[in-house]
Amino acid sequence: MMRQRKLWITVLLLWSLAPLLWQLYTSFCTHEALLQPLAEHNQRWTLDNYRQVLTANPPFWRYLLNSVIVGIGSTSLTLLIAIPAAYSLSKVSQNVARVAKFILLGAALFPYVLLFLALLELARSFNLGNNLLALSFPYAGLSMPLAVLLLLSAFRDLPSELEEAARLEGLDLWQRLRWVLIPLIGPATASTAILVFLFSWNEYPIALTWISRADLLTLPVAIARIAGSSVYSIPYGAYAAATVLGALPLLLLVLIFQRQIVSGLTQGAIKG
Amino acid sequence: MNLILQNIGRRFGSKWIVRHLDLEVGEGECLALLGPSGCGKSTTLRLIAGLDQPNEGSITIAGEDVTTVSPVDRRIGMVFQSYALFPHLTVFANLALGLQVRGIAASDRKRRVASVLALMQLEDLAERHPAELSGGQRQRVALARALLRDPLVYLLDEPMSNLDAQLREDLRPQLRHLILKGSQPVVYVTHDQHEAMAMAHRIAVMRDGKIEQIGTPQELYHNPSSLFVASFIGRPQINLLPAESGIIKAIRPEHLQLSSEGIPCRLVYKEWLGTSQLLILESNRGPLRMLCASEISIPETIKINWPPEKEHQFDASSGERY
Repeated sequence: MMRQRKLWITVLLLWSLAPLLWQLYTSFCTHEALLQPLAEHNQRWTLDNYRQVLTANPPFWRYLLNSVIVGIGSTSLTLLIAIPAAYSLSKVSQNVARVAKFILLGAALFPYVLLFLALLELARSFNLGNNLLALSFPYAGLSMPLAVLLLLSAFRDLPSELEEAARLEGLDLWQRLRWVLIPLIGPATASTAILVFLFSWNEYPIALTWISRADLLTLPVAIARIAGSSVYSIPYGAYAAATVLGALPLLLLVLIFQRQIVSGLTQGAIKG
Repeated sequence: MNLILQNIGRRFGSKWIVRHLDLEVGEGECLALLGPSGCGKSTTLRLIAGLDQPNEGSITIAGEDVTTVSPVDRRIGMVFQSYALFPHLTVFANLALGLQVRGIAASDRKRRVASVLALMQLEDLAERHPAELSGGQRQRVALARALLRDPLVYLLDEPMSNLDAQLREDLRPQLRHLILKGSQPVVYVTHDQHEAMAMAHRIAVMRDGKIEQIGTPQELYHNPSSLFVASFIGRPQINLLPAESGIIKAIRPEHLQLSSEGIPCRLVYKEWLGTSQLLILESNRGPLRMLCASEISIPETIKINWPPEKEHQFDASSGERY
Protein backbone atom coordinates (compact mmCIF):
# COMPACT_ATOMS: atom_id res chain seq x y z
CA MET A 1 0.00 0.00 0.00
CA MET A 2 2.66 2.44 1.17
CA ARG A 3 5.00 1.54 -1.66
CA GLN A 4 2.27 1.95 -4.23
CA ARG A 5 1.44 5.36 -2.85
CA LYS A 6 5.05 6.45 -3.03
CA LEU A 7 5.18 5.32 -6.62
CA TRP A 8 2.11 7.35 -7.49
CA ILE A 9 3.49 10.42 -5.79
CA THR A 10 6.74 10.04 -7.75
CA VAL A 11 4.85 9.71 -11.02
CA LEU A 12 2.72 12.76 -10.23
CA LEU A 13 5.76 14.78 -9.25
CA LEU A 14 7.53 13.85 -12.46
CA TRP A 15 4.43 14.67 -14.45
CA SER A 16 4.13 18.17 -13.02
CA LEU A 17 7.80 19.01 -12.54
CA ALA A 18 9.27 17.58 -15.77
CA PRO A 19 8.25 20.54 -18.00
CA LEU A 20 9.74 22.95 -15.46
CA LEU A 21 12.97 20.98 -15.21
CA TRP A 22 13.16 20.83 -18.99
CA GLN A 23 12.73 24.59 -19.11
CA LEU A 24 15.52 25.00 -16.57
CA TYR A 25 17.77 22.65 -18.56
CA THR A 26 17.02 24.48 -21.79
CA SER A 27 17.81 27.84 -20.27
CA PHE A 28 21.39 26.75 -19.46
CA CYS A 29 22.11 25.07 -22.82
CA THR A 30 23.85 26.55 -25.81
CA HIS A 31 21.84 26.77 -28.99
CA GLU A 32 23.91 23.99 -30.62
CA ALA A 33 23.44 21.63 -27.69
CA LEU A 34 19.71 22.15 -27.88
CA LEU A 35 19.50 21.33 -31.57
CA GLN A 36 21.64 18.19 -31.29
CA PRO A 37 21.25 17.04 -27.73
CA LEU A 38 23.00 13.69 -28.28
CA ALA A 39 26.08 14.91 -30.16
CA GLU A 40 29.43 15.83 -28.60
CA HIS A 41 29.88 19.55 -27.96
CA ASN A 42 32.90 21.41 -26.73
CA GLN A 43 30.54 23.77 -24.98
CA ARG A 44 27.18 22.45 -23.72
CA TRP A 45 26.45 24.72 -20.71
CA THR A 46 26.20 28.49 -20.91
CA LEU A 47 24.86 31.57 -19.14
CA ASP A 48 24.55 33.41 -22.44
CA ASN A 49 20.76 33.01 -22.54
CA TYR A 50 20.39 34.82 -19.24
CA ARG A 51 22.95 37.43 -20.25
CA GLN A 52 21.06 38.05 -23.48
CA VAL A 53 17.71 38.41 -21.68
CA LEU A 54 19.04 40.62 -18.90
CA THR A 55 21.04 42.98 -21.08
CA ALA A 56 18.39 43.48 -23.74
CA ASN A 57 16.91 46.94 -24.13
CA PRO A 58 14.80 47.51 -22.10
CA PRO A 59 16.35 45.05 -19.60
CA PHE A 60 14.32 42.10 -18.39
CA TRP A 61 13.98 43.31 -14.79
CA ARG A 62 11.96 46.18 -16.17
CA TYR A 63 9.23 43.76 -17.29
CA LEU A 64 9.43 41.99 -13.94
CA LEU A 65 8.90 45.31 -12.23
CA ASN A 66 5.97 46.14 -14.52
CA SER A 67 4.32 42.83 -13.76
CA VAL A 68 4.87 43.29 -10.03
CA ILE A 69 3.29 46.76 -10.19
CA VAL A 70 0.27 45.46 -12.09
CA GLY A 71 0.04 42.43 -9.79
CA ILE A 72 0.12 44.47 -6.60
CA GLY A 73 -2.29 46.98 -8.09
CA SER A 74 -4.85 44.38 -9.13
CA THR A 75 -4.52 42.34 -5.94
CA SER A 76 -4.99 45.36 -3.68
CA LEU A 77 -7.89 46.67 -5.73
CA THR A 78 -9.56 43.25 -5.74
CA LEU A 79 -9.22 42.74 -1.98
CA LEU A 80 -10.28 46.30 -1.27
CA ILE A 81 -13.59 45.67 -3.00
CA ALA A 82 -14.01 41.91 -2.45
CA ILE A 83 -13.60 41.92 1.35
CA PRO A 84 -16.41 44.41 2.06
CA ALA A 85 -18.55 42.77 -0.65
CA ALA A 86 -18.06 39.29 0.81
CA TYR A 87 -18.71 40.58 4.33
CA SER A 88 -21.99 42.21 3.28
CA LEU A 89 -23.08 39.11 1.40
CA SER A 90 -22.42 37.05 4.51
CA LYS A 91 -24.85 39.32 6.39
CA VAL A 92 -27.77 39.52 3.97
CA SER A 93 -30.56 36.96 3.89
CA GLN A 94 -29.86 33.47 2.56
CA ASN A 95 -32.04 34.02 -0.51
CA VAL A 96 -30.33 37.23 -1.60
CA ALA A 97 -26.93 35.64 -0.99
CA ARG A 98 -27.89 32.62 -3.07
CA VAL A 99 -28.89 34.75 -6.06
CA ALA A 100 -25.71 36.80 -5.70
CA LYS A 101 -23.59 33.65 -5.52
CA PHE A 102 -25.27 32.30 -8.63
CA ILE A 103 -24.53 35.49 -10.56
CA LEU A 104 -20.94 35.55 -9.30
CA LEU A 105 -20.45 31.94 -10.31
CA GLY A 106 -21.80 32.74 -13.77
CA ALA A 107 -19.40 35.67 -14.05
CA ALA A 108 -16.48 33.56 -12.84
CA LEU A 109 -17.18 30.92 -15.47
CA PHE A 110 -17.63 33.41 -18.32
CA PRO A 111 -14.76 33.12 -20.83
CA TYR A 112 -13.15 36.51 -20.50
CA VAL A 113 -11.50 36.37 -23.92
CA LEU A 114 -14.93 37.26 -25.28
CA LEU A 115 -14.70 40.54 -23.40
CA PHE A 116 -11.35 41.81 -24.46
CA LEU A 117 -12.46 43.60 -27.62
CA ALA A 118 -15.06 45.48 -25.62
CA LEU A 119 -12.45 46.19 -22.96
CA LEU A 120 -10.15 47.56 -25.63
CA GLU A 121 -12.90 49.95 -26.74
CA LEU A 122 -13.25 51.08 -23.12
CA ALA A 123 -9.53 51.59 -22.80
CA ARG A 124 -9.56 53.68 -25.94
CA SER A 125 -12.46 55.91 -24.95
CA PHE A 126 -11.20 56.43 -21.38
CA ASN A 127 -7.62 56.82 -22.55
CA LEU A 128 -6.34 53.95 -20.41
CA GLY A 129 -3.85 52.57 -22.94
CA ASN A 130 -0.16 52.37 -22.01
CA ASN A 131 -0.90 52.79 -18.33
CA LEU A 132 0.25 50.02 -16.03
CA LEU A 133 -2.09 50.77 -13.14
CA ALA A 134 -5.05 51.06 -15.52
CA LEU A 135 -4.41 47.42 -16.36
CA SER A 136 -5.39 46.64 -12.76
CA PHE A 137 -9.00 47.62 -13.46
CA PRO A 138 -9.87 44.79 -15.86
CA TYR A 139 -7.73 42.36 -13.85
CA ALA A 140 -9.47 43.22 -10.60
CA GLY A 141 -12.83 43.08 -12.34
CA LEU A 142 -12.16 39.67 -13.84
CA SER A 143 -10.83 38.26 -10.55
CA MET A 144 -13.65 39.74 -8.49
CA PRO A 145 -16.25 36.94 -8.77
CA LEU A 146 -13.86 34.23 -7.63
CA ALA A 147 -12.37 36.44 -4.91
CA VAL A 148 -15.79 37.35 -3.50
CA LEU A 149 -16.90 33.70 -3.52
CA LEU A 150 -13.76 32.53 -1.70
CA LEU A 151 -13.91 35.29 0.92
CA LEU A 152 -17.65 34.86 1.36
CA SER A 153 -17.23 31.25 2.39
CA ALA A 154 -14.46 32.32 4.77
CA PHE A 155 -16.74 34.90 6.45
CA ARG A 156 -19.54 32.34 6.57
CA ASP A 157 -17.29 29.89 8.41
CA LEU A 158 -16.64 32.34 11.25
CA PRO A 159 -18.92 31.71 14.23
CA SER A 160 -21.39 34.61 14.47
CA GLU A 161 -20.88 34.78 18.25
CA LEU A 162 -17.39 36.19 17.66
CA GLU A 163 -18.71 39.25 15.91
CA GLU A 164 -21.52 39.61 18.43
CA ALA A 165 -19.03 39.52 21.28
CA ALA A 166 -17.06 42.24 19.49
CA ARG A 167 -20.21 44.33 19.11
CA LEU A 168 -20.97 44.07 22.80
CA GLU A 169 -17.37 45.07 23.54
CA GLY A 170 -18.01 48.28 21.65
CA LEU A 171 -16.21 47.65 18.37
CA ASP A 172 -17.86 49.47 15.47
CA LEU A 173 -18.10 47.93 12.01
CA TRP A 174 -14.66 49.12 10.91
CA GLN A 175 -13.01 48.05 14.16
CA ARG A 176 -14.65 44.63 14.00
CA LEU A 177 -13.29 44.14 10.49
CA ARG A 178 -9.87 45.51 11.39
CA TRP A 179 -9.31 43.75 14.72
CA VAL A 180 -11.38 40.59 14.56
CA LEU A 181 -12.76 39.53 11.19
CA ILE A 182 -9.97 40.28 8.72
CA PRO A 183 -7.25 38.72 10.93
CA LEU A 184 -9.43 35.62 11.25
CA ILE A 185 -9.95 35.24 7.51
CA GLY A 186 -6.20 35.78 6.94
CA PRO A 187 -5.57 32.37 5.35
CA ALA A 188 -8.46 32.76 2.91
CA THR A 189 -7.29 36.30 2.10
CA ALA A 190 -3.76 35.04 1.42
CA SER A 191 -4.91 32.30 -0.93
CA THR A 192 -7.30 34.67 -2.70
CA ALA A 193 -4.52 37.25 -3.08
CA ILE A 194 -2.20 34.65 -4.59
CA LEU A 195 -4.83 33.55 -7.09
CA VAL A 196 -5.49 37.14 -8.17
CA PHE A 197 -1.77 37.89 -8.39
CA LEU A 198 -1.26 34.72 -10.44
CA PHE A 199 -4.02 35.69 -12.86
CA SER A 200 -2.57 39.15 -13.32
CA TRP A 201 0.95 37.71 -13.70
CA ASN A 202 -0.10 35.33 -16.48
CA GLU A 203 -2.68 37.43 -18.30
CA TYR A 204 -1.88 37.91 -22.00
CA PRO A 205 -4.59 39.20 -24.38
CA ILE A 206 -5.54 42.33 -22.42
CA ALA A 207 -1.92 43.20 -21.64
CA LEU A 208 -1.07 42.73 -25.31
CA THR A 209 -3.78 45.07 -26.52
CA TRP A 210 -3.69 47.75 -23.81
CA ILE A 211 0.10 48.23 -23.69
CA SER A 212 2.20 49.05 -26.73
CA ARG A 213 5.17 50.97 -25.30
CA ALA A 214 8.13 48.55 -24.99
CA ASP A 215 9.18 49.78 -21.53
CA LEU A 216 5.68 49.18 -20.12
CA LEU A 217 5.17 45.59 -21.30
CA THR A 218 4.24 42.95 -18.74
CA LEU A 219 6.06 39.62 -18.58
CA PRO A 220 3.88 37.37 -20.75
CA VAL A 221 3.88 39.89 -23.59
CA ALA A 222 7.60 40.56 -23.23
CA ILE A 223 8.39 36.85 -23.27
CA ALA A 224 6.25 36.37 -26.35
CA ARG A 225 8.24 39.16 -28.01
CA ILE A 226 11.50 37.34 -27.33
CA ALA A 227 10.07 34.25 -28.97
CA GLY A 228 9.01 36.21 -32.01
CA SER A 229 12.08 38.46 -32.22
CA SER A 230 13.76 36.60 -35.06
CA VAL A 231 12.20 35.49 -38.30
CA TYR A 232 14.65 32.70 -39.08
CA SER A 233 15.15 30.92 -35.77
CA ILE A 234 13.38 30.50 -32.47
CA PRO A 235 15.62 31.54 -29.56
CA TYR A 236 14.68 28.62 -27.35
CA GLY A 237 17.44 29.32 -24.83
CA ALA A 238 16.54 32.96 -24.26
CA TYR A 239 12.86 32.10 -24.18
CA ALA A 240 13.48 29.47 -21.50
CA ALA A 241 15.70 31.82 -19.48
CA ALA A 242 12.95 34.47 -19.54
CA THR A 243 10.27 32.06 -18.32
CA VAL A 244 12.55 30.81 -15.54
CA LEU A 245 13.20 34.37 -14.40
CA GLY A 246 9.50 35.13 -14.67
CA ALA A 247 8.57 32.15 -12.51
CA LEU A 248 11.02 32.95 -9.71
CA PRO A 249 9.02 35.72 -7.97
CA LEU A 250 5.91 33.53 -7.96
CA LEU A 251 7.86 30.63 -6.52
CA LEU A 252 9.13 32.92 -3.78
CA LEU A 253 5.62 34.18 -3.04
CA VAL A 254 4.17 30.68 -2.77
CA LEU A 255 7.05 29.51 -0.56
CA ILE A 256 6.51 32.38 1.85
CA PHE A 257 2.75 31.98 2.05
CA GLN A 258 2.38 28.24 1.51
CA ARG A 259 0.96 27.52 4.96
CA GLN A 260 -1.76 30.19 4.64
CA ILE A 261 -2.56 29.10 1.09
CA VAL A 262 -3.08 25.47 2.01
CA SER A 263 -5.16 26.26 5.09
CA GLY A 264 -7.11 28.85 3.09
CA LEU A 265 -7.90 26.46 0.27
CA THR A 266 -8.99 23.67 2.58
CA GLN A 267 -11.01 26.02 4.76
CA GLY A 268 -14.46 24.64 5.39
CA ALA A 269 -13.47 21.30 3.96
CA ILE A 270 -13.04 19.81 7.41
CA LYS A 271 -15.09 20.93 10.36
CA GLY A 272 -12.73 21.63 13.26
CA MET B 1 -30.46 48.70 38.86
CA ASN B 2 -33.04 46.44 37.29
CA LEU B 3 -34.15 45.01 33.98
CA ILE B 4 -37.71 45.16 32.69
CA LEU B 5 -39.14 43.55 29.57
CA GLN B 6 -42.62 44.63 28.60
CA ASN B 7 -44.77 42.78 26.08
CA ILE B 8 -41.74 41.72 24.06
CA GLY B 9 -42.40 40.07 20.71
CA ARG B 10 -40.03 38.90 18.00
CA ARG B 11 -41.00 37.16 14.82
CA PHE B 12 -39.20 35.76 11.80
CA GLY B 13 -41.53 36.05 8.85
CA SER B 14 -44.95 35.25 10.23
CA LYS B 15 -43.67 32.93 12.96
CA TRP B 16 -43.45 34.43 16.46
CA ILE B 17 -40.37 33.20 18.28
CA VAL B 18 -41.37 34.99 21.48
CA ARG B 19 -44.54 36.94 22.11
CA HIS B 20 -46.27 38.82 24.93
CA LEU B 21 -43.25 38.34 27.15
CA ASP B 22 -43.15 40.29 30.41
CA LEU B 23 -40.21 39.95 32.74
CA GLU B 24 -38.70 41.88 35.59
CA VAL B 25 -35.32 41.12 37.09
CA GLY B 26 -34.50 43.05 40.24
CA GLU B 27 -31.28 44.46 41.62
CA GLY B 28 -28.76 41.72 42.29
CA GLU B 29 -31.25 39.08 41.29
CA CYS B 30 -30.38 36.05 39.20
CA LEU B 31 -33.19 34.93 36.94
CA ALA B 32 -32.88 31.70 34.97
CA LEU B 33 -34.61 31.32 31.62
CA LEU B 34 -35.25 27.62 31.49
CA GLY B 35 -36.76 25.63 28.69
CA PRO B 36 -36.20 23.07 25.97
CA SER B 37 -34.28 24.12 22.87
CA GLY B 38 -36.33 26.29 20.53
CA CYS B 39 -38.47 27.74 23.33
CA GLY B 40 -37.18 31.28 22.67
CA LYS B 41 -34.89 31.66 25.67
CA SER B 42 -31.78 32.46 23.61
CA THR B 43 -33.77 34.84 21.42
CA THR B 44 -34.93 36.64 24.57
CA LEU B 45 -31.33 36.96 25.73
CA ARG B 46 -30.23 38.35 22.35
CA LEU B 47 -33.07 40.88 22.48
CA ILE B 48 -31.92 42.07 25.91
CA ALA B 49 -28.33 42.31 24.63
CA GLY B 50 -29.46 44.34 21.62
CA LEU B 51 -28.02 41.80 19.19
CA ASP B 52 -31.54 41.45 17.85
CA GLN B 53 -34.42 43.92 17.69
CA PRO B 54 -37.92 43.14 19.02
CA ASN B 55 -40.90 43.64 16.69
CA GLU B 56 -42.96 44.87 19.62
CA GLY B 57 -42.57 45.76 23.26
CA SER B 58 -39.91 47.62 25.20
CA ILE B 59 -36.80 46.88 27.23
CA THR B 60 -35.72 49.00 30.19
CA ILE B 61 -32.32 48.76 31.86
CA ALA B 62 -31.64 50.71 35.06
CA GLY B 63 -34.69 52.88 34.47
CA GLU B 64 -33.79 53.80 30.93
CA ASP B 65 -35.66 52.60 27.86
CA VAL B 66 -33.00 50.90 25.72
CA THR B 67 -35.27 49.27 23.13
CA THR B 68 -33.56 51.10 20.27
CA VAL B 69 -30.18 51.64 21.93
CA SER B 70 -27.13 49.92 20.35
CA PRO B 71 -25.65 46.89 22.14
CA VAL B 72 -22.53 48.74 23.23
CA ASP B 73 -24.45 51.56 24.90
CA ARG B 74 -26.57 49.11 26.86
CA ARG B 75 -23.44 48.07 28.79
CA ILE B 76 -24.02 44.34 28.73
CA GLY B 77 -21.65 41.79 30.23
CA MET B 78 -22.32 38.66 28.29
CA VAL B 79 -20.86 35.16 28.45
CA PHE B 80 -21.58 33.19 25.30
CA GLN B 81 -22.14 29.47 25.14
CA SER B 82 -19.05 29.06 22.97
CA TYR B 83 -17.30 31.79 25.05
CA ALA B 84 -16.59 33.63 21.78
CA LEU B 85 -13.02 34.48 22.69
CA PHE B 86 -11.04 35.99 19.82
CA PRO B 87 -8.86 33.06 18.75
CA HIS B 88 -6.07 35.15 17.20
CA LEU B 89 -5.48 37.22 20.34
CA THR B 90 -3.81 36.31 23.62
CA VAL B 91 -5.84 36.25 26.82
CA PHE B 92 -4.49 39.67 27.72
CA ALA B 93 -5.34 41.12 24.29
CA ASN B 94 -8.78 39.53 24.39
CA LEU B 95 -9.50 41.38 27.62
CA ALA B 96 -7.83 44.64 26.60
CA LEU B 97 -9.43 45.01 23.16
CA GLY B 98 -12.77 46.23 24.46
CA LEU B 99 -11.16 48.69 26.87
CA GLN B 100 -8.98 49.99 24.07
CA VAL B 101 -11.81 50.71 21.65
CA ARG B 102 -13.81 52.28 24.46
CA GLY B 103 -10.98 54.76 24.82
CA ILE B 104 -9.35 53.68 28.10
CA ALA B 105 -5.73 54.87 28.35
CA ALA B 106 -3.03 52.21 27.96
CA SER B 107 -1.73 52.33 31.56
CA ASP B 108 -5.23 52.20 33.02
CA ARG B 109 -6.10 49.37 30.66
CA LYS B 110 -3.12 47.35 31.80
CA ARG B 111 -3.97 47.85 35.45
CA ARG B 112 -7.59 46.86 35.03
CA VAL B 113 -6.84 43.76 32.99
CA ALA B 114 -4.16 42.73 35.51
CA SER B 115 -6.54 43.08 38.44
CA VAL B 116 -9.28 41.01 36.79
CA LEU B 117 -6.71 38.40 35.75
CA ALA B 118 -5.65 38.17 39.38
CA LEU B 119 -9.25 37.93 40.53
CA MET B 120 -9.90 35.03 38.15
CA GLN B 121 -6.53 33.39 38.88
CA LEU B 122 -5.51 33.72 35.25
CA GLU B 123 -2.22 35.64 35.68
CA ASP B 124 -0.09 32.78 34.36
CA LEU B 125 -2.20 32.43 31.25
CA ALA B 126 -2.13 36.07 30.11
CA GLU B 127 0.10 35.39 27.11
CA ARG B 128 -1.64 32.20 25.99
CA HIS B 129 -4.07 31.96 23.10
CA PRO B 130 -7.60 30.62 23.70
CA ALA B 131 -6.79 27.38 21.85
CA GLU B 132 -4.14 26.63 24.48
CA LEU B 133 -6.62 26.85 27.36
CA SER B 134 -8.86 24.22 28.89
CA GLY B 135 -12.64 24.59 28.83
CA GLY B 136 -12.76 25.85 32.40
CA GLN B 137 -9.99 28.39 31.76
CA ARG B 138 -11.77 29.68 28.66
CA GLN B 139 -14.93 30.11 30.66
CA ARG B 140 -13.01 32.13 33.23
CA VAL B 141 -11.56 34.37 30.51
CA ALA B 142 -15.05 34.90 29.09
CA LEU B 143 -16.28 35.77 32.56
CA ALA B 144 -13.32 38.12 33.07
CA ARG B 145 -14.25 39.92 29.85
CA ALA B 146 -17.82 40.34 31.09
CA LEU B 147 -16.57 41.69 34.44
CA LEU B 148 -14.26 44.19 32.72
CA ARG B 149 -17.23 45.52 30.84
CA ASP B 150 -18.46 47.00 34.16
CA PRO B 151 -21.97 46.17 32.99
CA LEU B 152 -25.47 47.18 34.01
CA VAL B 153 -26.77 43.67 33.29
CA TYR B 154 -25.10 40.25 33.12
CA LEU B 155 -26.33 37.84 30.47
CA LEU B 156 -25.11 34.26 30.65
CA ASP B 157 -25.96 31.99 27.73
CA GLU B 158 -25.53 28.37 28.81
CA PRO B 159 -22.19 29.27 30.43
CA MET B 160 -21.61 25.76 31.75
CA SER B 161 -22.89 23.60 28.91
CA ASN B 162 -19.44 22.99 27.41
CA LEU B 163 -17.93 21.82 30.68
CA ASP B 164 -17.94 18.38 32.24
CA ALA B 165 -20.10 17.68 35.26
CA GLN B 166 -17.31 17.86 37.84
CA LEU B 167 -16.08 21.21 36.56
CA ARG B 168 -19.60 22.64 36.65
CA GLU B 169 -19.91 21.78 40.30
CA ASP B 170 -16.54 23.43 40.96
CA LEU B 171 -17.33 26.58 39.00
CA ARG B 172 -20.81 27.22 40.37
CA PRO B 173 -19.67 28.76 43.67
CA GLN B 174 -17.11 30.88 41.80
CA LEU B 175 -19.72 32.16 39.37
CA ARG B 176 -22.13 32.87 42.20
CA HIS B 177 -19.44 34.69 44.14
CA LEU B 178 -18.27 36.84 41.23
CA ILE B 179 -21.50 37.84 39.60
CA LEU B 180 -24.32 37.37 42.04
CA LYS B 181 -22.65 39.44 44.75
CA GLY B 182 -22.96 42.53 42.57
CA SER B 183 -26.03 44.71 42.31
CA GLN B 184 -26.59 43.96 38.62
CA PRO B 185 -29.50 41.82 37.48
CA VAL B 186 -28.34 38.51 35.98
CA VAL B 187 -30.18 36.58 33.30
CA TYR B 188 -29.02 33.00 33.07
CA VAL B 189 -30.14 30.92 30.11
CA THR B 190 -30.01 27.17 30.50
CA HIS B 191 -31.83 24.03 29.49
CA ASP B 192 -30.59 22.24 32.61
CA GLN B 193 -33.21 22.47 35.36
CA HIS B 194 -30.71 21.30 37.95
CA GLU B 195 -28.37 24.19 37.12
CA ALA B 196 -31.25 26.67 37.09
CA MET B 197 -32.38 25.55 40.53
CA ALA B 198 -28.83 25.73 41.86
CA MET B 199 -27.97 29.17 40.51
CA ALA B 200 -31.12 31.25 40.23
CA HIS B 201 -33.24 33.14 42.72
CA ARG B 202 -36.16 32.84 40.35
CA ILE B 203 -36.78 30.67 37.32
CA ALA B 204 -38.88 31.50 34.28
CA VAL B 205 -39.89 28.30 32.52
CA MET B 206 -40.37 29.01 28.83
CA ARG B 207 -42.22 27.07 26.20
CA ASP B 208 -43.07 28.01 22.60
CA GLY B 209 -42.02 31.63 23.07
CA LYS B 210 -44.04 32.24 26.21
CA ILE B 211 -43.31 32.15 29.90
CA GLU B 212 -45.15 29.16 31.27
CA GLN B 213 -44.48 29.96 34.90
CA ILE B 214 -42.15 32.21 36.84
CA GLY B 215 -41.21 31.81 40.48
CA THR B 216 -38.63 30.65 42.97
CA PRO B 217 -37.28 27.12 42.50
CA GLN B 218 -39.38 26.08 45.53
CA GLU B 219 -42.57 27.55 44.06
CA LEU B 220 -42.04 25.80 40.75
CA TYR B 221 -41.26 22.55 42.47
CA HIS B 222 -44.11 22.49 44.95
CA ASN B 223 -46.66 24.43 43.01
CA PRO B 224 -46.23 23.90 39.26
CA SER B 225 -48.87 25.81 37.32
CA SER B 226 -48.99 23.38 34.43
CA LEU B 227 -48.27 19.86 33.42
CA PHE B 228 -45.31 21.07 31.38
CA VAL B 229 -43.64 22.81 34.35
CA ALA B 230 -44.38 19.84 36.61
CA SER B 231 -42.64 17.43 34.27
CA PHE B 232 -39.81 19.83 33.38
CA ILE B 233 -38.80 20.64 36.95
CA GLY B 234 -37.56 17.94 39.30
CA ARG B 235 -35.58 14.79 38.70
CA PRO B 236 -36.46 11.93 38.75
CA GLN B 237 -39.43 13.10 36.73
CA ILE B 238 -42.86 13.48 38.29
CA ASN B 239 -45.31 10.57 37.98
CA LEU B 240 -48.34 11.21 35.79
CA LEU B 241 -51.32 8.97 36.28
CA PRO B 242 -53.59 8.30 33.31
CA ALA B 243 -56.40 10.85 32.91
CA GLU B 244 -59.62 10.15 34.77
CA SER B 245 -62.67 12.27 33.86
CA GLY B 246 -60.45 14.90 32.29
CA ILE B 247 -57.99 15.22 35.18
CA ILE B 248 -54.38 14.09 35.28
CA LYS B 249 -52.94 13.44 38.74
CA ALA B 250 -49.22 14.03 39.25
CA ILE B 251 -47.14 12.94 42.23
CA ARG B 252 -43.42 13.44 42.76
CA PRO B 253 -41.44 10.18 43.17
CA GLU B 254 -40.34 11.10 46.70
CA HIS B 255 -43.96 11.55 47.82
CA LEU B 256 -44.94 7.97 47.05
CA GLN B 257 -44.87 5.74 50.11
CA LEU B 258 -45.31 2.09 50.93
CA SER B 259 -48.65 1.36 52.51
CA SER B 260 -51.07 -1.45 53.23
CA GLU B 261 -53.75 0.15 51.08
CA GLY B 262 -53.16 1.60 47.61
CA ILE B 263 -52.08 0.80 44.08
CA PRO B 264 -50.56 -2.67 43.79
CA CYS B 265 -47.17 -2.54 42.03
CA ARG B 266 -44.47 -4.89 40.87
CA LEU B 267 -40.81 -3.87 41.28
CA VAL B 268 -39.09 -3.84 37.88
CA TYR B 269 -35.65 -2.64 39.00
CA LYS B 270 -33.84 -0.45 41.49
CA GLU B 271 -31.31 2.34 40.92
CA TRP B 272 -29.15 2.89 43.93
CA LEU B 273 -28.39 6.64 44.32
CA GLY B 274 -26.45 6.66 47.57
CA THR B 275 -28.68 8.09 50.27
CA SER B 276 -31.77 7.14 48.33
CA GLN B 277 -32.90 4.55 45.85
CA LEU B 278 -35.06 4.98 42.79
CA LEU B 279 -37.63 2.23 42.28
CA ILE B 280 -39.09 1.63 38.85
CA LEU B 281 -42.52 0.11 39.39
CA GLU B 282 -45.07 -1.43 37.11
CA SER B 283 -48.75 -0.97 38.00
CA ASN B 284 -52.18 -1.09 36.42
CA ARG B 285 -51.95 2.75 36.24
CA GLY B 286 -48.75 2.56 34.13
CA PRO B 287 -45.07 2.73 35.14
CA LEU B 288 -44.24 4.67 38.32
CA ARG B 289 -41.04 6.10 39.77
CA MET B 290 -40.60 6.09 43.49
CA LEU B 291 -37.79 7.53 45.58
CA CYS B 292 -37.19 6.21 49.09
CA ALA B 293 -34.39 5.82 51.60
CA SER B 294 -31.82 3.30 50.48
CA GLU B 295 -31.91 1.26 53.73
CA ILE B 296 -35.47 0.03 53.11
CA SER B 297 -35.56 -3.37 51.49
CA ILE B 298 -38.28 -3.68 48.90
CA PRO B 299 -40.20 -6.90 48.21
CA GLU B 300 -41.18 -7.96 44.71
CA THR B 301 -44.78 -6.80 45.03
CA ILE B 302 -45.81 -3.75 47.04
CA LYS B 303 -48.69 -1.36 47.50
CA ILE B 304 -48.09 2.36 47.28
CA ASN B 305 -49.98 5.45 48.29
CA TRP B 306 -49.37 9.17 48.77
CA PRO B 307 -50.59 11.95 51.05
CA PRO B 308 -53.47 13.72 49.29
CA GLU B 309 -51.97 17.19 49.83
CA LYS B 310 -48.90 16.15 47.77
CA GLU B 311 -51.02 15.36 44.75
CA HIS B 312 -51.12 17.84 41.82
CA GLN B 313 -54.09 17.86 39.51
CA PHE B 314 -54.01 19.12 35.94
CA ASP B 315 -56.62 19.56 33.25
CA ALA B 316 -55.98 16.78 30.73
CA SER B 317 -56.75 18.89 27.65
CA SER B 318 -55.16 22.25 28.51
CA GLY B 319 -52.44 20.97 30.86
CA GLU B 320 -53.26 23.75 33.31
CA ARG B 321 -53.49 23.31 37.04
CA TYR B 322 -56.94 22.14 38.02
